[in-house]
Amino acid sequence: MILRAIQFLWIAGSMVLLTSCSGSHNQSPPQAQIIKLWVGPNEAEESFWKVAVAQWNARGQGLQVSFTTIPTSGNSEETVLSALVAQTEPDVSTNIFSGFALQLADLKQLEPLSSMPGYSDLIERRHMAKLIESWQINGTVYAIPFYSNPALIWWRADILAKYANHKVPRSYEDVYELSRRYAAAEHRYGFQVFAGRSWEDRWFDFIAFYYAASNGRAYIEKDKATYDNADGLKVAAFIDRMYEQGWTAADFDAGDPLVSGMAAGAVHGPWDLGTFQRLYPETMKNIVVGPIISDAKPEAHTATFSDSKGIVIFRSSKVKREAFSFISWVLGDEHLNLLWLQKTGMMPARDDLLRNPVFADFFDTHPAAKVYASYVDVAFPPALNENTIDIQKVMTQELVGPLVFRTKAPQAALDDAASQTNRLLRIRQ
Amino acid sequence: MRAFIGKISETHIGALLALSYLLFSAIFWAYPFIWLIILSFSDWRFFDAPIFSGLHNLVVVLSDPEFWGGLWNVARFFSIYFPIAFVGSLGFAFGLKHVGRGKTIIALCFLLANISSGVAFSLVFAKLFSSTGPINNMVFSWFGFRIPWMSNPTLAMLAIALVVAWKFIGYYGLILYSGLQTIPKELYDAARLDNTPPIVRLVRITLPLINAQLIMVLVFTILVSFGIFTEPYLITGGGPLGRTNTPMMIIYETAFRRLQPSHAAMMSVIVAAVSYLLIRITRKLLEKDVKLA
Repeated sequence: MILRAIQFLWIAGSMVLLTSCSGSHNQSPPQAQIIKLWVGPNEAEESFWKVAVAQWNARGQGLQVSFTTIPTSGNSEETVLSALVAQTEPDVSTNIFSGFALQLADLKQLEPLSSMPGYSDLIERRHMAKLIESWQINGTVYAIPFYSNPALIWWRADILAKYANHKVPRSYEDVYELSRRYAAAEHRYGFQVFAGRSWEDRWFDFIAFYYAASNGRAYIEKDKATYDNADGLKVAAFIDRMYEQGWTAADFDAGDPLVSGMAAGAVHGPWDLGTFQRLYPETMKNIVVGPIISDAKPEAHTATFSDSKGIVIFRSSKVKREAFSFISWVLGDEHLNLLWLQKTGMMPARDDLLRNPVFADFFDTHPAAKVYASYVDVAFPPALNENTIDIQKVMTQELVGPLVFRTKAPQAALDDAASQTNRLLRIRQ
Repeated sequence: MRAFIGKISETHIGALLALSYLLFSAIFWAYPFIWLIILSFSDWRFFDAPIFSGLHNLVVVLSDPEFWGGLWNVARFFSIYFPIAFVGSLGFAFGLKHVGRGKTIIALCFLLANISSGVAFSLVFAKLFSSTGPINNMVFSWFGFRIPWMSNPTLAMLAIALVVAWKFIGYYGLILYSGLQTIPKELYDAARLDNTPPIVRLVRITLPLINAQLIMVLVFTILVSFGIFTEPYLITGGGPLGRTNTPMMIIYETAFRRLQPSHAAMMSVIVAAVSYLLIRITRKLLEKDVKLA
């Protein structure tokens, strides 16, 4: 009986397999060609694309564009991947981070955009020659950065007024001094050092601090960890000291520490400006934006991490040229870049934001956004490496975690993290 | 028509009724499982055709310390979770047996936890257990210290075990309760006449007679231990220092973040084999054929 049941399951399974295979040979009815576009799944981005796509379609100078938000319930990468496997991917997708673009390029799923006609003109028109350098994979660009959001520190101005004489902290010493005055043992804290337990959170603590300390030096080069140096040690020692003194907490999961006053400062991106304005308008009135702390001179233009997402064309697209025309138009049009800024609060990836008169009015009326714009030119994206997740997991488990939980000294934590990263990358080569 | 129906034997009707289940199993279990086995022994990265790679994936997975760490974390989780879930569900079942009115409402209240969204309650518990959360604020205001739920590996695992136990105690409790209902009252009456103490009645009468239900709960706890994902993913993110990282989280990240589905498939097969083996051993050692004379 059991054998019969197994036999039946095999036959039924094979039938399903055959049916699904034969289905793929069916020809779908001919459709008018359109460019299918997926955009970031949030209200702000959707409202931008509604206007942009409507304008493009009204122009009638290219194929019509149809857009939807990335149909995700989890993360965008997983959804894009599932779509590629199921061959239901669109022609163009936004919201692709550089590490994922590298993985997809490695799997030959992306069209090289740098070989498209009009590419150089677009880079020049958008003033992004410097920004695009960190998106090149062996000299080829597969994803063009759409926005570049520097990570900066928000401080509660009312707390600074009382405990730091209105001075926005810029150096480690400034933060120590503020913490010494503001932090009462395990009740409130000077600064949120640890961004979170996930591997992505390292972008907003160690990596941002390391970029600031090293003036944007890469932390992974040629498949080797390069952060085990004097700058890395300064950052590790800072984290260690903050936890040693009890000036920061292991987590702030209970609520935003700036809203509750649990911490005087925390790292934030410009996307939070709108959210805070909507949810915590009273807190927002008291927020001042400052650079990532380092031991650089007070007048230095401190480097930071850039949370940046790009736009790609999938290799399976039948309308690659037409899709690139659309991308060129959206990215290259200054007024659409301004609209993006207005709708999302995120910085278009271009290095003339503060020089270009088109954006002047916006920044005059949005001083916090202006601070973010001023750091776009020194905001560096993540290391372009296929093993991003493992590099940052090692960073969490061997470096930042042990410093937070006080199980390793700064130098030992740095050494362990770097050597384990190197071993991992050597095996994966 | 009537003649046609008359010709259909009971066997045919039974087969027809079973067909829907068999078809469901074929599509949603057999087909993916066969693919899983194929992928485990192939080199495949989503887009190309799978190429047979022998035992390469097995070697890669077995030499991955993170995977071994995940399996060790399952053992750590089970050692904390099982006693909590077992005692809690047994207490719930006994409590329910002695409740006079409102049994259904009480049972439903406990079952609500089981059907609640894992994501929603994980987020709530993450806030509750936070070092700056309400539990810790209360402990701090009373005793002057905070409990490092998220920074101590054992306490982090305990936090997850408490959340998962909260979810499943009602469900396991109902299974045990159904077993308690089948024990004849006369057995207890006879034991009382012999002046048997309550603890002896529990060990000699109650527990042996609900052996089937206890084994069922034990099997479920083993399955949950190997299958947890949402709670550690959202509450601790696998931390601190990877000490709450579970095989499901590793499999997910290997397939969808590292883009190594063949390695993930091999991990799934190993996890399935280990959990199956454990269940077989458990049943072999502890399952008894209980018959009331």
